[in-house]
Amino acid sequence: MGGFSRRDFLKRTAASGVAGGIALSGVKIAEASTGESVGTMIDLTKCDGCKGKDVPDCVSACKTENMDKFPEPVENIGNYWPQKKYEDWSEKRGLTNRITPYNWTFVQTVKVQHGGKEHEVAVPRRCMHCDNPPCVNICPFSAQDKKKEGPVVIDPDLCFGGAKCRGVCPWGIPARQAGVGLYLKIAPKFAGGGVMYKCDLCYDRIKVGKRPACVEACPKGAISYGSKSEMLATAEQKAKEIDGFIYGDKENGGTSTFYVSPVPFEKVHKELMAQKSQQKNPQAPGFPGMQVGVGNFLDTPNGIAAGMLVAPIAGMFAAGAAAVKTMKGEKNND
Amino acid sequence: MTRNKELKGQVKRHGFSTRFVHWTVAVSTFLLIFSGFGQLPLYKRYFVDQLAGLGWTSNFSVTLMIHYVAAIALIFAVAYHLTYHIMRKEYDIFPKRGDVKESIQIIKAMLGRGEEPENDKYLAEQRLAYAFIGGALLLIILTGAIKVVKNLSAIEFSSDFLWVTTTLHNVATFLVLFGIIGHLAAFIFKENRGLLSSMFNGKVDADYAKERHSKWYKRVDVNKNVDVDM
Repeated sequence: MGGFSRRDFLKRTAASGVAGGIALSGVKIAEASTGESVGTMIDLTKCDGCKGKDVPDCVSACKTENMDKFPEPVENIGNYWPQKKYEDWSEKRGLTNRITPYNWTFVQTVKVQHGGKEHEVAVPRRCMHCDNPPCVNICPFSAQDKKKEGPVVIDPDLCFGGAKCRGVCPWGIPARQAGVGLYLKIAPKFAGGGVMYKCDLCYDRIKVGKRPACVEACPKGAISYGSKSEMLATAEQKAKEIDGFIYGDKENGGTSTFYVSPVPFEKVHKELMAQKSQQKNPQAPGFPGMQVGVGNFLDTPNGIAAGMLVAPIAGMFAAGAAAVKTMKGEKNND
Repeated sequence: MTRNKELKGQVKRHGFSTRFVHWTVAVSTFLLIFSGFGQLPLYKRYFVDQLAGLGWTSNFSVTLMIHYVAAIALIFAVAYHLTYHIMRKEYDIFPKRGDVKESIQIIKAMLGRGEEPENDKYLAEQRLAYAFIGGALLLIILTGAIKVVKNLSAIEFSSDFLWVTTTLHNVATFLVLFGIIGHLAAFIFKENRGLLSSMFNGKVDADYAKERHSKWYKRVDVNKNVDVDM
Protein backbone atom coordinates (compact mmCIF):
# COMPACT_ATOMS: atom_id res chain seq x y z
CA MET A 1 0.00 0.00 0.00
CA GLY A 2 3.02 2.30 0.00
CA GLY A 3 2.33 5.60 1.75
CA PHE A 4 -1.35 5.03 2.30
CA SER A 5 -2.28 2.26 4.66
CA ARG A 6 -5.71 1.03 5.56
CA ARG A 7 -5.24 2.53 8.98
CA ASP A 8 -4.49 5.90 7.37
CA PHE A 9 -7.60 5.58 5.30
CA LEU A 10 -9.83 4.70 8.23
CA LYS A 11 -8.33 7.51 10.30
CA ARG A 12 -8.94 9.99 7.53
CA THR A 13 -12.45 8.76 6.87
CA ALA A 14 -13.31 9.03 10.55
CA ALA A 15 -11.71 12.48 10.74
CA SER A 16 -13.68 13.77 7.78
CA GLY A 17 -16.90 12.43 9.29
CA VAL A 18 -16.19 14.12 12.62
CA ALA A 19 -15.27 17.37 10.87
CA GLY A 20 -18.52 17.24 8.91
CA GLY A 21 -20.48 16.58 12.09
CA ILE A 22 -18.88 19.50 13.89
CA ALA A 23 -19.44 21.72 10.90
CA LEU A 24 -23.10 20.80 10.85
CA SER A 25 -24.03 20.79 14.49
CA GLY A 26 -21.54 23.39 15.70
CA VAL A 27 -22.57 26.03 13.23
CA LYS A 28 -26.20 25.30 13.85
CA ILE A 29 -25.77 25.94 17.55
CA ALA A 30 -23.68 29.03 16.95
CA GLU A 31 -26.13 30.57 14.51
CA ALA A 32 -29.40 29.51 16.08
CA SER A 33 -31.68 32.43 16.83
CA THR A 34 -29.87 35.13 18.71
CA GLY A 35 -32.65 37.45 19.77
CA GLU A 36 -36.02 38.08 18.25
CA SER A 37 -36.37 39.18 14.67
CA VAL A 38 -38.40 42.14 13.50
CA GLY A 39 -41.47 42.41 11.32
CA THR A 40 -44.10 44.77 10.02
CA MET A 41 -47.88 44.91 10.11
CA ILE A 42 -49.62 46.71 7.27
CA ASP A 43 -53.12 47.83 8.13
CA LEU A 44 -55.08 48.08 4.91
CA THR A 45 -57.97 49.80 6.68
CA LYS A 46 -55.64 52.77 7.17
CA CYS A 47 -53.65 52.88 3.93
CA ASP A 48 -55.31 54.89 1.18
CA GLY A 49 -52.33 54.97 -1.17
CA CYS A 50 -51.81 58.66 -0.28
CA LYS A 51 -54.80 59.74 -2.31
CA GLY A 52 -54.28 63.03 -4.05
CA LYS A 53 -50.51 62.72 -4.14
CA ASP A 54 -48.61 61.79 -7.30
CA VAL A 55 -46.48 59.31 -5.41
CA PRO A 56 -47.37 57.70 -2.06
CA ASP A 57 -45.16 58.91 0.78
CA CYS A 58 -43.79 55.44 1.55
CA VAL A 59 -42.63 55.10 -2.07
CA SER A 60 -40.96 58.52 -2.07
CA ALA A 61 -39.28 57.84 1.26
CA CYS A 62 -38.01 54.48 0.04
CA LYS A 63 -36.55 56.05 -3.10
CA THR A 64 -34.81 58.77 -1.13
CA GLU A 65 -33.48 56.37 1.46
CA ASN A 66 -32.05 53.93 -1.08
CA MET A 67 -30.92 56.35 -3.78
CA ASP A 68 -27.25 55.57 -3.16
CA LYS A 69 -27.89 51.85 -3.60
CA PHE A 70 -29.62 52.14 -6.97
CA PRO A 71 -27.63 50.72 -9.90
CA GLU A 72 -25.55 52.86 -12.22
CA PRO A 73 -25.06 50.57 -15.23
CA VAL A 74 -22.31 50.87 -17.82
CA GLU A 75 -23.17 52.81 -20.97
CA ASN A 76 -23.23 50.03 -23.51
CA ILE A 77 -24.96 47.08 -21.93
CA GLY A 78 -24.43 43.86 -23.88
CA ASN A 79 -27.13 41.34 -24.69
CA TYR A 80 -27.49 38.13 -22.69
CA TRP A 81 -25.90 36.12 -25.50
CA PRO A 82 -27.23 34.15 -27.33
CA GLN A 83 -30.44 36.01 -26.47
CA LYS A 84 -30.90 39.35 -28.14
CA LYS A 85 -32.02 41.21 -25.06
CA TYR A 86 -31.04 42.47 -21.63
CA GLU A 87 -33.01 43.80 -18.70
CA ASP A 88 -32.64 47.53 -18.32
CA TRP A 89 -34.74 49.75 -16.09
CA SER A 90 -32.26 52.61 -15.95
CA GLU A 91 -34.25 54.62 -18.48
CA LYS A 92 -37.39 54.15 -16.38
CA ARG A 93 -36.10 55.28 -13.03
CA GLY A 94 -39.21 57.35 -12.46
CA LEU A 95 -41.61 54.38 -12.52
CA THR A 96 -43.55 54.13 -9.28
CA ASN A 97 -46.38 51.83 -10.32
CA ARG A 98 -44.42 48.58 -10.07
CA ILE A 99 -41.30 47.07 -8.47
CA THR A 100 -38.09 47.88 -10.35
CA PRO A 101 -34.41 48.07 -9.40
CA TYR A 102 -35.11 51.79 -8.81
CA ASN A 103 -38.42 51.37 -7.01
CA TRP A 104 -38.45 48.86 -4.19
CA THR A 105 -41.98 49.46 -2.98
CA PHE A 106 -45.22 50.60 -4.60
CA VAL A 107 -48.91 50.71 -3.84
CA GLN A 108 -51.50 48.65 -5.68
CA THR A 109 -55.10 49.79 -5.52
CA VAL A 110 -58.07 47.49 -6.11
CA LYS A 111 -61.81 47.80 -5.84
CA VAL A 112 -63.53 44.66 -4.57
CA GLN A 113 -67.04 43.76 -3.53
CA HIS A 114 -67.39 42.28 -0.06
CA GLY A 115 -70.20 42.13 2.48
CA GLY A 116 -72.57 43.84 0.11
CA LYS A 117 -70.46 46.93 -0.51
CA GLU A 118 -67.52 48.06 -2.56
CA HIS A 119 -64.17 48.47 -0.86
CA GLU A 120 -61.24 50.33 -2.30
CA VAL A 121 -58.13 48.73 -0.90
CA ALA A 122 -54.62 50.16 -1.28
CA VAL A 123 -51.83 47.62 -0.74
CA PRO A 124 -48.21 48.70 -0.28
CA ARG A 125 -46.04 46.00 -1.84
CA ARG A 126 -42.42 45.00 -1.34
CA CYS A 127 -40.35 42.02 -0.18
CA MET A 128 -42.19 40.07 2.52
CA HIS A 129 -38.92 38.99 4.25
CA CYS A 130 -39.89 35.32 4.50
CA ASP A 131 -39.01 32.98 7.36
CA ASN A 132 -37.40 30.40 5.05
CA PRO A 133 -36.75 32.46 1.95
CA PRO A 134 -36.33 30.32 -1.17
CA CYS A 135 -34.54 33.24 -2.84
CA VAL A 136 -31.76 32.97 -0.26
CA ASN A 137 -31.61 29.20 -0.28
CA ILE A 138 -31.48 28.65 -4.01
CA CYS A 139 -29.02 31.41 -4.87
CA PRO A 140 -26.21 29.53 -6.68
CA PHE A 141 -23.60 31.91 -5.28
CA SER A 142 -25.00 32.50 -1.77
CA ALA A 143 -25.35 36.18 -2.59
CA GLN A 144 -28.44 36.55 -0.41
CA ASP A 145 -28.75 36.33 3.30
CA LYS A 146 -31.54 36.13 5.85
CA LYS A 147 -30.23 38.39 8.59
CA LYS A 148 -30.75 37.37 12.18
CA GLU A 149 -32.75 40.57 12.62
CA GLY A 150 -35.20 39.28 9.99
CA PRO A 151 -34.58 41.13 6.71
CA VAL A 152 -33.57 39.29 3.57
CA VAL A 153 -30.64 41.15 2.01
CA ILE A 154 -28.96 40.79 -1.38
CA ASP A 155 -25.21 41.42 -1.57
CA PRO A 156 -24.80 43.49 -4.78
CA ASP A 157 -21.10 42.61 -4.91
CA LEU A 158 -21.75 38.86 -5.07
CA CYS A 159 -24.96 38.76 -7.11
CA PHE A 160 -24.57 37.50 -10.66
CA GLY A 161 -28.05 38.50 -11.79
CA GLY A 162 -29.32 35.10 -12.90
CA ALA A 163 -32.73 36.14 -11.55
CA LYS A 164 -33.44 32.68 -10.19
CA CYS A 165 -34.46 34.32 -6.90
CA ARG A 166 -37.20 36.16 -8.75
CA GLY A 167 -38.34 32.88 -10.29
CA VAL A 168 -38.77 31.13 -6.94
CA CYS A 169 -40.26 34.11 -5.09
CA PRO A 170 -44.05 33.66 -4.99
CA TRP A 171 -44.35 37.39 -5.67
CA GLY A 172 -41.42 37.77 -8.11
CA ILE A 173 -40.04 40.62 -6.01
CA PRO A 174 -36.29 40.83 -6.79
CA ALA A 175 -35.77 43.16 -9.77
CA ARG A 176 -32.86 42.87 -12.18
CA GLN A 177 -30.70 45.54 -13.69
CA ALA A 178 -28.18 44.61 -16.38
CA GLY A 179 -24.84 46.31 -16.97
CA VAL A 180 -23.82 46.35 -13.33
CA GLY A 181 -22.11 43.98 -10.90
CA LEU A 182 -19.71 41.08 -10.72
CA TYR A 183 -20.67 39.42 -14.00
CA LEU A 184 -19.14 42.29 -15.95
CA LYS A 185 -15.73 41.26 -14.62
CA ILE A 186 -16.04 37.55 -15.52
CA ALA A 187 -17.66 36.75 -18.87
CA PRO A 188 -20.46 39.29 -19.36
CA LYS A 189 -21.39 38.03 -22.77
CA PHE A 190 -21.89 34.42 -21.71
CA ALA A 191 -22.89 34.32 -18.04
CA GLY A 192 -24.76 36.49 -15.57
CA GLY A 193 -27.27 39.22 -16.12
CA GLY A 194 -26.62 42.06 -13.69
CA VAL A 195 -27.64 42.49 -10.09
CA MET A 196 -30.93 41.84 -8.31
CA TYR A 197 -32.37 44.60 -6.15
CA LYS A 198 -35.16 44.70 -3.60
CA CYS A 199 -36.29 46.06 -0.28
CA ASP A 200 -33.93 45.21 2.58
CA LEU A 201 -36.31 46.61 5.21
CA CYS A 202 -33.81 49.48 5.57
CA TYR A 203 -31.35 47.10 7.15
CA ASP A 204 -28.82 49.87 7.79
CA ARG A 205 -31.43 51.82 9.71
CA ILE A 206 -32.89 49.01 11.78
CA LYS A 207 -29.40 47.84 12.79
CA VAL A 208 -28.97 51.12 14.62
CA GLY A 209 -32.42 51.06 16.16
CA LYS A 210 -34.23 53.23 13.62
CA ARG A 211 -37.46 52.30 11.87
CA PRO A 212 -37.65 51.59 8.11
CA ALA A 213 -38.14 54.71 5.99
CA CYS A 214 -41.60 53.65 4.73
CA VAL A 215 -42.81 53.14 8.29
CA GLU A 216 -41.71 56.63 9.32
CA ALA A 217 -43.08 58.26 6.18
CA CYS A 218 -46.60 56.84 6.25
CA PRO A 219 -48.96 59.71 7.13
CA LYS A 220 -51.70 57.33 8.24
CA GLY A 221 -49.59 55.13 10.46
CA ALA A 222 -50.64 52.17 8.33
CA ILE A 223 -47.30 50.38 8.59
CA SER A 224 -46.30 49.24 12.06
CA TYR A 225 -42.82 48.01 12.89
CA GLY A 226 -41.64 45.96 15.85
CA SER A 227 -40.77 42.49 16.97
CA LYS A 228 -42.21 39.89 14.64
CA SER A 229 -44.30 38.18 17.30
CA GLU A 230 -45.67 41.54 18.42
CA MET A 231 -46.58 42.41 14.82
CA LEU A 232 -48.35 39.10 14.31
CA ALA A 233 -50.27 39.55 17.57
CA THR A 234 -51.25 43.08 16.50
CA ALA A 235 -52.38 41.77 13.12
CA GLU A 236 -54.46 39.05 14.74
CA GLN A 237 -56.02 41.50 17.14
CA LYS A 238 -56.86 43.91 14.34
CA ALA A 239 -58.29 41.15 12.15
CA LYS A 240 -60.47 40.06 15.03
CA GLU A 241 -61.71 43.59 15.61
CA ILE A 242 -62.74 44.19 12.02
CA ASP A 243 -63.67 40.60 11.23
CA GLY A 244 -60.93 40.83 8.62
CA PHE A 245 -58.23 38.75 7.03
CA ILE A 246 -54.47 38.30 7.41
CA TYR A 247 -51.97 37.76 4.62
CA GLY A 248 -48.31 36.81 5.14
CA ASP A 249 -48.49 34.64 8.26
CA LYS A 250 -48.72 31.35 6.38
CA GLU A 251 -47.79 32.27 2.83
CA ASN A 252 -44.49 30.86 1.55
CA GLY A 253 -44.16 29.02 4.86
CA GLY A 254 -44.46 32.24 6.88
CA THR A 255 -43.12 35.77 6.44
CA SER A 256 -42.40 38.74 8.65
CA THR A 257 -44.90 41.01 6.89
CA PHE A 258 -48.54 40.81 7.99
CA TYR A 259 -51.28 42.52 6.00
CA VAL A 260 -54.67 42.99 7.63
CA SER A 261 -57.57 43.62 5.28
CA PRO A 262 -61.33 44.03 5.64
CA VAL A 263 -61.77 41.99 2.44
CA PRO A 264 -60.61 38.45 1.63
CA PHE A 265 -57.24 38.34 -0.09
CA GLU A 266 -58.60 35.90 -2.65
CA LYS A 267 -60.65 38.82 -4.01
CA VAL A 268 -57.67 41.19 -3.88
CA HIS A 269 -55.54 38.65 -5.73
CA LYS A 270 -58.18 38.12 -8.39
CA GLU A 271 -58.46 41.84 -9.01
CA LEU A 272 -54.66 42.23 -9.13
CA MET A 273 -54.39 39.46 -11.69
CA ALA A 274 -57.08 41.15 -13.77
CA GLN A 275 -55.12 44.40 -13.65
CA LYS A 276 -51.92 42.61 -14.60
CA SER A 277 -53.52 40.92 -17.58
CA GLN A 278 -54.56 44.30 -18.92
CA GLN A 279 -51.07 45.77 -18.77
CA LYS A 280 -49.14 46.48 -21.96
CA ASN A 281 -46.87 43.55 -21.21
CA PRO A 282 -48.58 41.23 -18.72
CA GLN A 283 -45.42 39.12 -18.49
CA ALA A 284 -43.29 42.02 -17.24
CA PRO A 285 -42.00 41.49 -13.69
CA GLY A 286 -42.68 43.72 -10.74
CA PHE A 287 -46.47 43.52 -10.37
CA PRO A 288 -47.14 40.81 -7.79
CA GLY A 289 -50.39 39.10 -6.92
CA MET A 290 -51.50 37.98 -3.45
CA GLN A 291 -52.18 34.29 -3.84
CA VAL A 292 -53.56 33.02 -0.56
CA GLY A 293 -51.67 30.11 1.04
CA VAL A 294 -49.00 30.08 -1.66
CA GLY A 295 -46.46 27.34 -0.87
CA ASN A 296 -42.70 27.50 -0.53
CA PHE A 297 -40.62 26.44 -3.52
CA LEU A 298 -38.56 24.20 -1.24
CA ASP A 299 -41.46 22.26 0.29
CA THR A 300 -41.13 19.33 -2.11
CA PRO A 301 -37.31 18.97 -2.09
CA ASN A 302 -37.29 19.35 1.69
CA GLY A 303 -39.79 16.52 1.82
CA ILE A 304 -37.26 14.11 0.36
CA ALA A 305 -34.24 15.47 2.25
CA ALA A 306 -34.63 12.62 4.72
CA GLY A 307 -33.70 10.31 1.86
CA MET A 308 -30.18 11.71 2.06
CA LEU A 309 -29.91 10.52 5.64
CA VAL A 310 -31.20 7.09 4.77
CA ALA A 311 -29.04 6.70 1.64
CA PRO A 312 -25.65 6.15 3.34
CA ILE A 313 -27.14 3.78 5.91
CA ALA A 314 -28.93 1.80 3.20
CA GLY A 315 -25.72 1.77 1.14
CA MET A 316 -23.72 0.42 4.06
CA PHE A 317 -26.24 -2.31 4.81
CA ALA A 318 -26.52 -3.36 1.19
CA ALA A 319 -22.74 -3.41 0.83
CA GLY A 320 -22.35 -5.31 4.08
CA ALA A 321 -24.72 -7.99 2.87
CA ALA A 322 -22.98 -8.18 -0.51
CA ALA A 323 -19.52 -8.32 1.07
CA VAL A 324 -20.48 -11.08 3.48
CA LYS A 325 -22.05 -13.03 0.66
CA THR A 326 -19.00 -12.82 -1.58
CA MET A 327 -16.58 -13.46 1.26
CA LYS A 328 -18.41 -16.64 2.05
CA GLY A 329 -17.45 -17.69 -1.41
CA GLU A 330 -20.90 -17.60 -2.81
CA LYS A 331 -21.25 -17.00 -6.48
CA ASN A 332 -21.51 -13.47 -7.76
CA ASN A 333 -24.48 -12.42 -9.76
CA ASP A 334 -22.59 -12.28 -13.01
CA MET B 1 -13.09 -21.31 -7.96
CA THR B 2 -11.20 -21.43 -11.23
CA ARG B 3 -14.41 -20.26 -12.83
CA ASN B 4 -13.48 -16.83 -11.60
CA LYS B 5 -10.30 -16.70 -13.55
CA GLU B 6 -10.36 -18.35 -16.92
CA LEU B 7 -13.48 -17.74 -18.97
CA LYS B 8 -13.00 -18.30 -22.67
CA GLY B 9 -9.62 -16.63 -22.60
CA GLN B 10 -10.88 -13.92 -20.32
CA VAL B 11 -10.09 -13.16 -16.72
CA LYS B 12 -12.58 -11.79 -14.23
CA ARG B 13 -11.69 -8.28 -13.10
CA HIS B 14 -14.80 -6.73 -11.58
CA GLY B 15 -17.71 -8.30 -9.76
CA PHE B 16 -21.28 -7.08 -9.71
CA SER B 17 -20.72 -4.69 -6.79
CA THR B 18 -17.93 -2.78 -8.52
CA ARG B 19 -19.87 -2.41 -11.74
CA PHE B 20 -23.02 -1.45 -9.88
CA VAL B 21 -21.17 1.27 -7.98
CA HIS B 22 -19.36 2.51 -11.09
CA TRP B 23 -22.52 2.92 -13.15
CA THR B 24 -24.60 4.30 -10.29
CA VAL B 25 -21.93 6.92 -9.67
CA ALA B 26 -21.64 7.62 -13.41
CA VAL B 27 -25.37 8.05 -14.02
CA SER B 28 -26.06 9.98 -10.81
CA THR B 29 -23.06 12.26 -11.38
CA PHE B 30 -24.20 13.00 -14.92
CA LEU B 31 -27.68 13.84 -13.64
CA LEU B 32 -26.21 15.96 -10.83
CA ILE B 33 -24.03 17.95 -13.21
CA PHE B 34 -26.83 18.41 -15.73
CA SER B 35 -29.42 19.43 -13.14
CA GLY B 36 -26.82 21.49 -11.27
CA PHE B 37 -26.08 23.60 -14.31
CA GLY B 38 -29.83 24.04 -14.63
CA GLN B 39 -29.72 25.66 -11.19
CA LEU B 40 -27.25 28.32 -12.27
CA PRO B 41 -29.60 29.03 -14.27
CA LEU B 42 -28.48 28.31 -17.79
CA TYR B 43 -30.91 26.41 -19.97
CA LYS B 44 -33.45 29.13 -20.64
CA ARG B 45 -30.79 31.61 -21.70
CA TYR B 46 -29.13 29.10 -23.99
CA PHE B 47 -32.44 27.86 -25.47
CA VAL B 48 -31.87 24.31 -24.20
CA ASP B 49 -35.49 24.32 -23.04
CA GLN B 50 -36.53 25.00 -26.63
CA LEU B 51 -35.21 21.62 -27.75
CA ALA B 52 -37.74 18.85 -28.22
CA GLY B 53 -38.42 17.05 -24.96
CA LEU B 54 -36.23 19.39 -22.89
CA GLY B 55 -38.82 21.99 -21.95
CA TRP B 56 -38.49 20.95 -18.31
CA THR B 57 -34.80 21.91 -18.13
CA SER B 58 -35.53 25.54 -17.27
CA ASN B 59 -37.97 24.57 -14.50
CA PHE B 60 -35.98 24.95 -11.27
CA SER B 61 -38.32 22.76 -9.26
CA VAL B 62 -37.85 19.87 -11.71
CA THR B 63 -34.06 20.20 -11.91
CA LEU B 64 -33.80 20.57 -8.13
CA MET B 65 -35.80 17.38 -7.60
CA ILE B 66 -33.54 15.54 -10.07
CA HIS B 67 -30.56 16.93 -8.14
CA TYR B 68 -31.91 15.62 -4.83
CA VAL B 69 -32.84 12.18 -6.17
CA ALA B 70 -29.51 11.79 -7.98
CA ALA B 71 -27.70 12.89 -4.81
CA ILE B 72 -29.47 10.14 -2.86
CA ALA B 73 -28.29 7.60 -5.46
CA LEU B 74 -24.72 8.94 -5.36
CA ILE B 75 -24.55 8.91 -1.55
CA PHE B 76 -25.93 5.37 -1.53
CA ALA B 77 -23.30 4.23 -4.05
CA VAL B 78 -20.41 5.92 -2.23
CA ALA B 79 -21.46 4.42 1.12
CA TYR B 80 -21.82 1.04 -0.57
CA HIS B 81 -18.42 1.33 -2.22
CA LEU B 82 -16.54 2.28 0.95
CA THR B 83 -18.26 -0.29 3.13
CA TYR B 84 -17.91 -3.10 0.64
CA HIS B 85 -14.19 -2.69 0.03
CA ILE B 86 -13.29 -1.89 3.61
CA MET B 87 -15.02 -5.10 4.70
CA ARG B 88 -13.22 -7.04 2.01
CA LYS B 89 -9.93 -5.27 2.75
CA GLU B 90 -9.44 -4.34 -0.88
CA TYR B 91 -7.30 -1.27 -1.30
CA ASP B 92 -5.64 -1.87 -4.68
CA ILE B 93 -7.00 1.41 -6.03
CA PHE B 94 -5.54 3.71 -3.39
CA PRO B 95 -2.60 5.82 -4.57
CA LYS B 96 0.88 4.65 -3.64
CA ARG B 97 4.11 6.52 -3.19
CA GLY B 98 5.71 7.20 -6.55
CA ASP B 99 2.46 7.03 -8.52
CA VAL B 100 2.95 10.44 -10.12
CA LYS B 101 6.37 9.47 -11.43
CA GLU B 102 5.08 6.09 -12.55
CA SER B 103 2.12 7.69 -14.33
CA ILE B 104 4.44 9.83 -16.40
CA GLN B 105 6.46 6.73 -17.24
CA ILE B 106 3.30 4.90 -18.40
CA ILE B 107 2.11 7.81 -20.54
CA LYS B 108 5.58 8.13 -22.08
CA ALA B 109 5.55 4.42 -22.86
CA MET B 110 2.15 4.71 -24.55
CA LEU B 111 3.64 7.47 -26.70
CA GLY B 112 6.40 5.10 -27.72
CA ARG B 113 9.10 6.37 -25.43
CA GLY B 114 10.57 3.94 -22.96
CA GLU B 115 9.31 0.81 -21.27
CA GLU B 116 6.09 0.57 -19.27
CA PRO B 117 6.56 -0.54 -15.66
CA GLU B 118 4.98 -3.75 -14.41
CA ASN B 119 1.46 -2.83 -13.37
CA ASP B 120 -0.71 -4.15 -10.61
CA LYS B 121 -4.50 -4.38 -10.85
CA TYR B 122 -4.64 -0.63 -11.47
CA LEU B 123 -2.23 1.59 -13.33
CA ALA B 124 -0.60 4.35 -11.30
CA GLU B 125 -2.66 6.98 -13.10
CA GLN B 126 -5.85 5.05 -12.41
CA ARG B 127 -5.04 5.15 -8.71
CA LEU B 128 -4.40 8.90 -8.89
CA ALA B 129 -7.58 9.48 -10.92
CA TYR B 130 -9.56 7.51 -8.35
CA ALA B 131 -8.21 9.65 -5.51
CA PHE B 132 -8.86 12.85 -7.47
CA ILE B 133 -12.42 12.06 -8.52
CA GLY B 134 -13.21 10.36 -5.21
CA GLY B 135 -11.91 13.32 -3.21
CA ALA B 136 -13.89 15.77 -5.33
CA LEU B 137 -17.05 13.66 -4.94
CA LEU B 138 -16.63 13.54 -1.17
CA LEU B 139 -16.23 17.33 -1.12
CA ILE B 140 -19.34 17.69 -3.25
CA ILE B 141 -21.34 15.36 -1.01
CA LEU B 142 -20.25 17.12 2.17
CA THR B 143 -20.96 20.62 0.86
CA GLY B 144 -24.16 19.43 -0.82
CA ALA B 145 -25.36 17.95 2.47
CA ILE B 146 -24.81 21.30 4.17
CA LYS B 147 -26.79 22.99 1.39
CA VAL B 148 -29.66 20.52 1.86
CA VAL B 149 -29.71 21.17 5.61
CA LYS B 150 -29.62 24.91 4.90
CA ASN B 151 -32.78 24.59 2.81
CA LEU B 152 -34.70 23.22 5.79
CA SER B 153 -36.56 26.01 7.50
CA ALA B 154 -35.48 25.45 11.08
CA ILE B 155 -31.75 25.68 10.53
CA GLU B 156 -29.67 28.77 9.89
CA PHE B 157 -25.99 29.05 9.07
CA SER B 158 -23.87 32.16 8.94
CA SER B 159 -23.66 33.81 5.52
CA ASP B 160 -19.85 33.47 5.42
CA PHE B 161 -20.05 29.76 6.13
CA LEU B 162 -22.67 29.32 3.43
CA TRP B 163 -20.65 31.31 0.91
CA VAL B 164 -17.61 29.10 1.51
CA THR B 165 -19.80 25.97 1.27
CA THR B 166 -21.47 27.12 -1.95
CA THR B 167 -18.18 28.12 -3.53
CA LEU B 168 -16.54 24.80 -2.60
CA HIS B 169 -19.57 22.99 -4.04
CA ASN B 170 -19.21 24.92 -7.30
CA VAL B 171 -15.43 24.43 -7.46
CA ALA B 172 -15.77 20.70 -6.72
CA THR B 173 -18.26 20.44 -9.59
CA PHE B 174 -15.59 21.59 -11.99
CA LEU B 175 -13.01 19.27 -10.39
CA VAL B 176 -15.36 16.33 -10.99
CA LEU B 177 -15.98 17.54 -14.53
CA PHE B 178 -12.24 17.72 -15.23
CA GLY B 179 -11.83 14.30 -13.63
CA ILE B 180 -14.49 12.78 -15.88
CA ILE B 181 -12.97 14.36 -18.98
CA GLY B 182 -9.57 12.93 -17.97
CA HIS B 183 -11.13 9.55 -17.22
CA LEU B 184 -12.77 9.38 -20.65
CA ALA B 185 -9.72 10.86 -22.40
CA ALA B 186 -7.72 7.86 -21.17
CA PHE B 187 -9.48 5.84 -23.86
CA ILE B 188 -7.90 7.97 -26.56
CA PHE B 189 -4.93 5.65 -25.98
CA LYS B 190 -5.55 2.34 -27.65
CA GLU B 191 -3.53 0.63 -24.90
CA ASN B 192 -6.18 1.48 -22.33
CA ARG B 193 -9.17 0.24 -24.28
CA GLY B 194 -8.60 -3.36 -23.25
CA LEU B 195 -10.11 -2.53 -19.87
CA LEU B 196 -13.41 -1.20 -21.27
CA SER B 197 -15.14 -4.56 -21.36
CA SER B 198 -14.57 -5.11 -17.64
CA MET B 199 -16.96 -2.33 -16.71
CA PHE B 200 -19.69 -4.02 -18.75
CA ASN B 201 -19.26 -7.77 -18.32
CA GLY B 202 -16.64 -7.76 -15.58
CA LYS B 203 -13.97 -9.48 -17.67
CA VAL B 204 -10.82 -8.56 -19.55
CA ASP B 205 -8.90 -10.47 -22.12
CA ALA B 206 -6.50 -12.84 -20.35
CA ASP B 207 -3.63 -11.94 -22.66
CA TYR B 208 -4.19 -8.26 -22.02
CA ALA B 209 -4.21 -8.79 -18.26
CA LYS B 210 -1.06 -10.89 -18.45
CA GLU B 211 0.79 -8.28 -20.46
CA ARG B 212 -0.48 -4.99 -19.00
CA HIS B 213 -1.35 -5.95 -15.44
CA SER B 214 1.25 -8.61 -14.90
CA LYS B 215 1.58 -8.13 -11.13
CA TRP B 216 -2.16 -8.54 -10.67
CA TYR B 217 -2.37 -11.41 -13.13
CA LYS B 218 0.33 -13.32 -11.31
CA ARG B 219 -1.48 -12.83 -8.03
CA VAL B 220 -4.74 -14.06 -9.42
CA ASP B 221 -2.95 -16.98 -11.02
CA VAL B 222 -1.21 -17.99 -7.83
CA ASN B 223 -4.12 -17.55 -5.46
CA LYS B 224 -6.80 -18.82 -7.78
CA ASN B 225 -9.38 -17.52 -5.41
CA VAL B 226 -12.29 -15.17 -5.73
CA ASP B 227 -10.34 -12.23 -4.44
CA VAL B 228 -10.57 -10.39 -7.69
CA ASP B 229 -13.62 -8.34 -7.00
CA MET B 230 -12.33 -4.77 -6.86
